[in-house]
Amino acid sequence: MLIFAVLFPMAAGALFPLFRFKEDKSRGLYVMAVVLITSAVALPQIILGTAAREILFQITETLPIAFRLDGVGRIFAGIVAVLWPLSSLYALEYMQHEKNLDAFFSFYTICFGVTLGIACASNLMTLYLFYELMTLITLPLVMHGGSQRSVRAGLKYLYYSIGGAALAFIGLVYVIYYGGTTEFAYGGVSVFTAGQTEHNMRIGYLICFFGFGVKAAVFPLHDWLPDASVAPTPVTALLHAVAVVKSGVFAIIRITWFTFAPALLAGTFAQYIPLALCVFTIVYGCTMALKEQNLKRRLAYSTVSNLSYILFGALLMTSQGLRGGLMHMVYHAVMKITLFLCAGVYLQKGVEYVQDMRGLHRAMPVATAVFALGSLAMTGIPPLLGFGSKWALAEAAVFEGGLLPVAGIVALVISATLTAFYLIIPSVSTYVSRGVKAYAPGELSSGWKALSPLLIISLVMMFFSFWPMLLTDFITYAAAGGL
Amino acid sequence: MPTILLIFLPLVPMMASVPGYLLAKKSKSAAYAVLISICLAATLLSGFLFLRALNYRFLTQESPGICALGLSLRADGFRSLYLFVASFMWLMTSLFTPEYLAHGHRHGRYIFFTLFTFGATLGVFLSDDLITAFVFFEIMSFTSYPWVAHEENPAAMRAAATYLAIAILGGMAMLMGLMMLRPMLGTLSFERLLSAAQEMPDKGQLYVPSLLILAGFGAKAGMFPLHVWLPKAHPVAPAPASALLSGILTKVGVFGILVISCRVLLHDAAWGNLLLILGLITMFAGAFLALLSVDLKRTLACSSMSQIGFILVGIGMQGLLGEHNALAAQGTILHMLNHSLIKLTLFMAAGAVYIGVHKLDLNEIRGYGRKKPFLHLCFLIGAASISGIPLFSGYVSKTLLHESIVEYVVHLQHLGENAFWYQTAEWVFVITGGMTFAYMLKLYFALFWEKNNRRQTDMDSLCRYLKPLSRFALGGAALVLFILGIRPQLSMTPLANAALPFMNAHAPEHAVDYFSAVNLLGTGKSLLIGLLLYLTLVRLWLVQKQADGKSHYVDRKPIWLDLEDSVYRPLLHLVVAIGGAFATLCHRLPEFDPLRHMVVIPAKGVAVLLNGLPDLLFFGMRYLGKLFARVFSGLLDCIAALMGRTVFAPPKPQQPVPIGNRFTYTLGRIFNFLAGIFKRMRRHSQPVVRKYTYLFAALWEEIKTNFNKVSQSLSFSLMLFSIGLLITLVYLMAR
Repeated sequence: MLIFAVLFPMAAGALFPLFRFKEDKSRGLYVMAVVLITSAVALPQIILGTAAREILFQITETLPIAFRLDGVGRIFAGIVAVLWPLSSLYALEYMQHEKNLDAFFSFYTICFGVTLGIACASNLMTLYLFYELMTLITLPLVMHGGSQRSVRAGLKYLYYSIGGAALAFIGLVYVIYYGGTTEFAYGGVSVFTAGQTEHNMRIGYLICFFGFGVKAAVFPLHDWLPDASVAPTPVTALLHAVAVVKSGVFAIIRITWFTFAPALLAGTFAQYIPLALCVFTIVYGCTMALKEQNLKRRLAYSTVSNLSYILFGALLMTSQGLRGGLMHMVYHAVMKITLFLCAGVYLQKGVEYVQDMRGLHRAMPVATAVFALGSLAMTGIPPLLGFGSKWALAEAAVFEGGLLPVAGIVALVISATLTAFYLIIPSVSTYVSRGVKAYAPGELSSGWKALSPLLIISLVMMFFSFWPMLLTDFITYAAAGGL
Repeated sequence: MPTILLIFLPLVPMMASVPGYLLAKKSKSAAYAVLISICLAATLLSGFLFLRALNYRFLTQESPGICALGLSLRADGFRSLYLFVASFMWLMTSLFTPEYLAHGHRHGRYIFFTLFTFGATLGVFLSDDLITAFVFFEIMSFTSYPWVAHEENPAAMRAAATYLAIAILGGMAMLMGLMMLRPMLGTLSFERLLSAAQEMPDKGQLYVPSLLILAGFGAKAGMFPLHVWLPKAHPVAPAPASALLSGILTKVGVFGILVISCRVLLHDAAWGNLLLILGLITMFAGAFLALLSVDLKRTLACSSMSQIGFILVGIGMQGLLGEHNALAAQGTILHMLNHSLIKLTLFMAAGAVYIGVHKLDLNEIRGYGRKKPFLHLCFLIGAASISGIPLFSGYVSKTLLHESIVEYVVHLQHLGENAFWYQTAEWVFVITGGMTFAYMLKLYFALFWEKNNRRQTDMDSLCRYLKPLSRFALGGAALVLFILGIRPQLSMTPLANAALPFMNAHAPEHAVDYFSAVNLLGTGKSLLIGLLLYLTLVRLWLVQKQADGKSHYVDRKPIWLDLEDSVYRPLLHLVVAIGGAFATLCHRLPEFDPLRHMVVIPAKGVAVLLNGLPDLLFFGMRYLGKLFARVFSGLLDCIAALMGRTVFAPPKPQQPVPIGNRFTYTLGRIFNFLAGIFKRMRRHSQPVVRKYTYLFAALWEEIKTNFNKVSQSLSFSLMLFSIGLLITLVYLMAR
């Protein structure tokens, strides 16, 4: 069934050119049907858990392409399977006046399968394969606008990703050569921890980290992400806040915890260098976000910063830290997609820059309210979502002790403060400031297909703010290596 | 008694805020009815909790797993007392609001946020661990923002921005402190904090997190130097909201400071000294600002800051006095209580004035209170109480605080130690008490005795100046205040004693005689200073004769005294500038390609140089002799040619050529000049004219283009690299 969930949207997306939809409505029905069927197949397995390991085919005898769900995979697959139908619905409204919709939705749907493939991958080889596939599938989505800017952004994305994949590939070769198997196991593959090869393995890990770090937007490798925000908003919202970037983070979690052993890496340069970069990126991303006036680019920089929160947690190399990181992975996905979808609603009505948001609440009451809620959550105002994960991360860091974790806490607090300034102040200005233009009530309201995903996601956000136990218990279990 | 009641207390107002907001669109009065009934219900419930607490029956509720990190609530003596005070104040101000805002706007928003803030404030006072307190505290900080911004005029927006910024920064400082404190002590529950802190081997570690938490709570309380928002935010909010901001929201900050002082750093002398100093500065600065202010609500706001200073002095003295701090503890709690009720009365009285005149400037409103006995009486009770006149409630708490300082001085003298600084502190306390009296006299005389310069007859004819509901609210608040003051032994002492366990203090061995000769004398000293200050500073300096012979209040507040404009905002700009520069630097860094920028481009430059060098040498070697001969023989020609080329040169026609920059241009000119010289020395069959300026400019353009292509070419090499790796894979698999 995992294979079905992965391959069905890929096949259905690839079949798109056969249909040649005349009407928007039939295309919409087709897309929604495919996406909903996939989610309906995937979600029971994600929620109930399944120990089955399904092999697609064998490359060599020791290198199968196989799928298996474990705790961490279930978390990532769960995020994707819940958010994809919602943002597909949003995309149907958002993209209705654009051209080339068949191509767009074809790639959009294929990408669902690919992302599920990453989440369900049972070994590093499978993960790498789907990871590469994702780069190729998302490229047309980034360049969909067709303008000079989007083509440049797309090329930049391609170059960065291919460069990163090359580095990741070296890591893969290291794993195959020294470890013999690429199969994931919690706590790493035991072969690594013994023998003379330790130093080599750490270097291999670092190379691998930088390879996957491109999609996780770690500091020197982040530059593609803000540029990629020229893509249509459903792409920025889902791919550049959830699927693509979280794949990078997920892959790093996989290599850190399931391939190379934390026991091998902890307390060495292979931990300190990535950790230092993450701490730096946390502050750097926020500073850039504060400087940026284009709303979508600002949110993209905010993503840069927040992705490093997750990595910071995972790289602490304690299960507590991993727990904090996973919590932030889920929470950030929910919060950031909310903000991006709102930004898309704004953008459709010509509000592109932060200063245009002044006094907007009369014109679009729903979107501004959701945006305000999202920014409060993003900052980590208790009891909203962000607070829980930031607290968990800080607690893990304090528990760990040492220079870098403490620097990380300071970075967390600085970044939370800056987040308040770059998100809360604009969203307050939508309410109290008078803009250049005086809007009539409800002047710019959007259709239900754009607004209902917003409302549903913000309700989910509120629900988990007040009853986080449902999630945190499972995350604690997954972070301790449960299936 | 079901403990679930406790969670209802904060939750119900928060949930009622939504119907309140929606109702306001249909019918304002229905929405206000919701607001008032919720407040009434909360008042009754918290009153009931307080009665139970008086018999030492406390409710406790723990609900782990909800709201991020779980909530734990408890209503003991102090907390249920403050729950009751908060509910009472909300009730009274809600009764006052409908008339005050009758001609205002955005009723729905006001009601929504008033209810939300109400719930959050109750939550803070109910909380039984610091996390719960923090959760509700942050909600309260943000939901009270719309109060400040309510009027939406520039002054309000500016004050609101300051309020928000301080709230965010204070909240983050507190979060940092909590994050540090929790692993040190292993708990943040109020019950276990004290024992955990006392078991700490090295108590010095506790100071840093405590200071951070103090910054968070102190910012809300209006403690120096984080008070900047207070004198601005309180006056611009609607009067009922100002009463709550001054009366209750500052006390939430004090509540937090009490938790730190009485649970984490109990009886810590250094901490006590810090709070004492901060308290003295806060109370003196606040009173000074209040004395100079010529705006009714601003005076009251500065006065709030000053009174918070008194409370902080009390907390500081608790720390210094150690085990024998009963007087300080009683003084602290009673001054909190008194100040809440006093500010409730006074701000509502100010609201009554605003309803009549729509102005707050003393010159505009003076004389408004003449022939209005009800308003006169209410204001008088509030003013007398805050000035500490015997038989009014403020007298009791101020006496207790004063006594506690005196007690410590005596204690030190008894031990034979130097008590000079504490005697100074006592004098600051007495003088500030005098200043309080002086600025209340200023307000009182201006409002109720002086005559307005222009509109006195209009004001006198205004008989029906308050509706019954508002009259009830104002009168009720004043009455409670009055009743508390006349028999302090019966009313105030039991209240204080019920609250003492929260501060880990014990009731004093023998009852305090509030009206003893010593205490009356101390107050007399203070009041005398106040009278003198009023007669000199206010009457002679603040009040000036105008050209038309009438007196006029002049705003004498020095601008440099505003910490916000003189320190914080410039500092913020500096930080933003540095941050921006830092971010730009980091942003440019990824474009730096070591291979290209450090090897290829310098190498190209060197190659160009080297390429030109043999030419140069060749010319040099071959024509050196000729050059000398030519130069010396044809010096004049040379100069003429030089002049022709430079000074008298005709303007060149414009061509679409590469522009380059100043450096390439200068370099090009030098080369052109040298080439010109050489050309004159050598006979060409076909003279070749090379324009070096353009050559260099073109070179520069090329370098710039290369610079732009950096990322692409880098990635191209990586792509080739990855193809190679793919071959490796095939090789591996084949093996």
